[in-house]
Amino acid sequence: MDRRFVFILVALAVIIPMLLSINLPVSVSEPTQKFFDYVEALPAGSTIMIAFDYGPSSLAELNPMAKALLKQCFDRDIRVIAITLIVDAPTLASALIQEVATEKGAVEGEDYVFLGFRPGAVQVILGMGTDIANVYDTDYNGTAIGEIPMMQNVTNYDQIDLLVDFASSDTVESWIIYANVRYNQKIAAGVTGVIIAQMFPYLQTGQLVGLLSGILGAAEYENLVGAPDKGMQWINVESFVHLLIVGLVIIGNITYLIHRAREE
Amino acid sequence: MKRQVPLVLCFVFGIVMIFTQFSPHSFSQGIYEEVISWALIIGPFALVLATITLIQTHTARIRRRTEHWQYSLVVFAGLIIMVLIGIPYGPQNSIFEWLYNNVQLPMDATMFSLLAFFIASAAYRAFRARTFEASLLLITALIVMMGNVPVGDLLSNDTASKAREWILDNPNLSARRGIILGVSLGVISQSIRIILGIERSYLGGGD
Repeated sequence: MDRRFVFILVALAVIIPMLLSINLPVSVSEPTQKFFDYVEALPAGSTIMIAFDYGPSSLAELNPMAKALLKQCFDRDIRVIAITLIVDAPTLASALIQEVATEKGAVEGEDYVFLGFRPGAVQVILGMGTDIANVYDTDYNGTAIGEIPMMQNVTNYDQIDLLVDFASSDTVESWIIYANVRYNQKIAAGVTGVIIAQMFPYLQTGQLVGLLSGILGAAEYENLVGAPDKGMQWINVESFVHLLIVGLVIIGNITYLIHRAREE
Repeated sequence: MKRQVPLVLCFVFGIVMIFTQFSPHSFSQGIYEEVISWALIIGPFALVLATITLIQTHTARIRRRTEHWQYSLVVFAGLIIMVLIGIPYGPQNSIFEWLYNNVQLPMDATMFSLLAFFIASAAYRAFRARTFEASLLLITALIVMMGNVPVGDLLSNDTASKAREWILDNPNLSARRGIILGVSLGVISQSIRIILGIERSYLGGGD
């Protein structure tokens, strides 16, 4: 089969379900349920730190789960401190936080703060264990940390109830090694589908309290939060692309086996 | 001196930082916090080095007129424009944000999206049950793929997602843990070699 024909089939498998807006039922996996339950169990006034450690290439997978979590936090009066270890991320993270904050009526500086990017991932993680203000002297807007109301009682990880890393690379492992092991910081993660397999050992040891897996994790979380959005929409599209690839692999193998049988 | 000083610094700081991990004394923790502050200052210099390397590499490509050297001009154009806007006006400047949202973001997302097409084509061409191991990999991949989407559960009465979770929780977890332990032991032994000055390749020169 000509590969251009495969490309056309993939394009059709993406476009047609989007146009038909098919809604397949999404069941919730255990790691997602654990993540959701942990956040639900936090009392109002708790503080979550969210690390937006992904760039535009992974935005489609990770933005929906970050959006669902932000909605849950603002609905439950959980304060959010957002940061990023990735230089590409500040603009997209800032836009997403502002979008959800506007929708939920959250107030900057009181309900949430975006501290932005600082270079040196490991040093940033370790530095915040001592004093966040040593690493971030101002927020993304340039406001001094000392002037931000919600940061008045936050010094380091001791005042952070949960750290959530939305990641497309190995930053989750850095957070686990340096923030969890050294400072006993509770961590949950939402990662792209391609790195999900490497997260399972940390889930089993309890170093991750919950885990969201790619666009499926986003759809599951939107389902739990009760705010269906892009995750639910795109998992349906992904269903058809996966079906197509499975079909292509099966056809390819049947063709291969027929050829081999003839040669023998 | 050019080699001895970095070796001594590496040895002293390596030993001291290991010591701080095992001593909760305030003096020890004071040293730890001080060194972390230094690291935060030194860290950004990596960005400066990366930028210098980028400029050197692409300047050389333009000077030598290597294949596709014109793209290096695009690299410089992007670098200069973003720096000229980003440094004086900050990342929240409207032009900076416009360039990010309308140039970087769609280009980056497009590059990644193209993978779906190539993966589909590559899966069709290369994923063959040629040997027992290849067949095992093929079957596992198909199960995980179907378990990763709701249509898999719909077609298999929830078996696909359960099979996927079992694969991730058992064979995958065991293999990953083995890899993590191996890598960790390697990192520890390499760190000891660096601290003791046995491994010196980080100094340059190849020894």
